[in-house]
Amino acid sequence: MSSQDSSDGQQCPLVVVGETGFQVSDEVYTVTIGATVPTGFENTAAEEVQEKIGANAKISKDRGRIYFQITTDKLSQVHHLRSVDNLFVVVEEYDNYQFKDSKEETLEDLQKLASKLPWSDALKVWNMNTTLKKKRGPHRQPQGPRGRGRGKANKVTLETDTMQTETIETDTVVTDTVVTDTVETDAIDTVETLTTQEEELELEAPTADQGEGAGGVRTPALEILGEQQEVPGQELGAKVLKFRVTCNRAGDKHSFSSNEAARDFGGAVQELFQWKADMTKFDIEVLLNIHNVEMVIGIALTEESLHRRNITHFGPTTLRSTLCYGMLRLCKPQASDVILDPMCGTGAIPLEGAIEWQQAFYLAGDNNDMAVSRTVNNICHIQKKRRDKGSISGLPIDTVQWDLCHLPMRTSSVDIIITDMPFGKRMGSRKNNWDLYPSCLKEMARVTRPGSGKAVILTQDKKCFQKAISRMGGLWRKHHTVWVNVGGLHAGVFLLKRTLGIFGQIAEDSREGKESKPHEEKPGEERKKE
Amino acid sequence: MCICILYLNVLSRISGSQATEVKVSEVEFNPNFVSRMIPKLEWSALVQAADGLGHLQDLPTELIADYEANEDFLRKVHRVLLEVEVLEGCLQCPESGREFPITRGVPNMLLNEEEA
Repeated sequence: MSSQDSSDGQQCPLVVVGETGFQVSDEVYTVTIGATVPTGFENTAAEEVQEKIGANAKISKDRGRIYFQITTDKLSQVHHLRSVDNLFVVVEEYDNYQFKDSKEETLEDLQKLASKLPWSDALKVWNMNTTLKKKRGPHRQPQGPRGRGRGKANKVTLETDTMQTETIETDTVVTDTVVTDTVETDAIDTVETLTTQEEELELEAPTADQGEGAGGVRTPALEILGEQQEVPGQELGAKVLKFRVTCNRAGDKHSFSSNEAARDFGGAVQELFQWKADMTKFDIEVLLNIHNVEMVIGIALTEESLHRRNITHFGPTTLRSTLCYGMLRLCKPQASDVILDPMCGTGAIPLEGAIEWQQAFYLAGDNNDMAVSRTVNNICHIQKKRRDKGSISGLPIDTVQWDLCHLPMRTSSVDIIITDMPFGKRMGSRKNNWDLYPSCLKEMARVTRPGSGKAVILTQDKKCFQKAISRMGGLWRKHHTVWVNVGGLHAGVFLLKRTLGIFGQIAEDSREGKESKPHEEKPGEERKKE
Repeated sequence: MCICILYLNVLSRISGSQATEVKVSEVEFNPNFVSRMIPKLEWSALVQAADGLGHLQDLPTELIADYEANEDFLRKVHRVLLEVEVLEGCLQCPESGREFPITRGVPNMLLNEEEA
C-alpha cells in the first residue's frame, strides 16, 4: 500500500485556527478508511461497503479489520454502515515495517516517525467528521440549559447478572446512526465514562469482544503529565486539543510492549502538535495498530463503538448489534419473510432486522419474563427515537412469551430462524445444552418451511450443536459456518438449510432416540398440524 | 401484539370476554410485503380477528382477485395486519377454549405443566 498523502511537509505544529483548530478546505480528495468489524464477518462488512458506498474493501484476514477508500465528500456515508464497530481514517500504512532489534532503537524510531507522517489529510478528515457529528446533534434534541444540543436526562434502569437493579441518570444525545446508550454492568464487563468535547455524555463498556484480533492487547494510552503550553500563533480563545494514543500490538517478535509504544509515540505526537494528553476526555484518538510487520497509524472517527446501538435495556448476554447485523446479512431476508428468534433475550437480533430489513416480519420470543420485558422496552425505545426524528415509528416486529419447545406457530409457517443459543457459560449450562439443543432443533424444524427455510444460529457450544445437527440430517443440512469471537469466547454462526423432509414423516426427528415410541397426540399439540 | 401474528398462530380468536385495549399505530406501507403475505394468511381468521377487535372497517370478508395491483385493498390489509395492535386482551384457542392473556402487547403462550 502506498502512502495516501501528497505531503506538503507539514511538520511543525499546525496553526490553530478557529474552534476545532484546523483549516477546512472544500477540496475533495481520497482517503483510506479503516473499520473494525466482528471477527469472522469481514466479508459481510466488505459486502455492505460495496453496496452502500460503492468501494472495494480490503480485508485484513482474521483480524476483524477492513479498509476501503472514499472521497471526502462521501464521509457521512460511512456512519450508515451497520456492520462496523469502529471507524478510523488512515494516516499511514506500512506493509513491512522494519522494527529494530532492540527496544530502545525501536522506540526511538517510533518517536522520530511521528513528525514524518502525513497527518494533514487525516486531520482534515477528522475535523470534517467532528463537524458532521455536531450538525447531527442539535437537530435531534431540544436545547438544554447546558448549551448546544444537550439531551434530556433519562433515567434508565440497568439490570445485571445478579439481578440487582441500578438506576443511573444519563444524558443521551441521539445522532443519526449512533445511539449513545447505557450499558450493562456485570461481573465480566467494566464501565468507563467518557466525556468528549461535544455535547454527548456516553457510557461505554469495553468488552473482550472488540474484535481486536489474535493476541492483540488493547491498552489505554499513558497519560503524559506536563504543563499545557500555548501554541505559537494560536489565536486567543482557541482551545488546545486533547488527545490520546491507543496501541494494539500483536506478534511474537517485537521487543516492546504496546504500552511502551503508545507512550513514546504519544510523546512525540504531543511534541509535534502541542496537544494535551488526556486519557479520558480527548478530542482526538490516535491509533497505532501493529500486527507483526504491518503497522497502521490512524485517527478514530467514532467515539464509542457502534456495536450497542439499538439496545438500551441490556441483559447479561446481549449481542452487539454489529454481530446481529452480520448474522442477518447471512440469511438475506426477503420481502414477506417471517423471521423468528425463539430465544430472543433482549431482542437485539430481531430488532436490528426490523430496522434494516423492513420488508420482512420479525417475531421475537422468549420464555423469560425479564427478557420479554427488555425486548419490549428496547423496541419502544427505538420507536420513540424514530418518532422524535419525524419518521414513521412502527416496526414490523412483535414480541411473544413462549416456550421454544412448544412454539405457538403453525407447522411450516416460518421462513427464517435466527438466534443466539445459550452458551452454557453466561447462561444455561453445558449439561442442559445436551438436552436443549436437540429439542430446540426439532421444534425449529417443525415450524420452518421445508425446502426454502433457513436457520442462522450462533452458539459457543459447538460440539453439542454439531452433534445435535448430525442427528438431524433428515431435517437440517449444514450450509456454512462463520467462526466468530463473542465476549472472548470462540463461537460459531451456523447457517442451516431446511431439507424438503416433512416433519413427522422423517425418521431422524424421533424424540430422544426412542424410535419405537409413537409421538403421542395431546390436545394442545393436535392443533399444530396443518 | 399485532394481528399479523394471529394468522400464523393456531389460535384464531380474540376473546371478547376480557377487557381489550387496542391501539392503532403507523407502520410504513410496503405493498410488496403485503401482497406476498396474503397467500400465507388464513383470510377468514384475519377477518374474524379484525372484526372481534372492532377494526374490520371495510375489509372484504372474501379475498378479492388480482389484489396485487390494488393499492387501496393492500392498504386496508396493511392496516389490519400491521397497524392494529392488541395491547391488553386475550387469545383463545377455538378448539380447547384455553385462553392466553396479552399484556403490554405481549401474548403469554407458555403452557402449564399438564398441557405441555
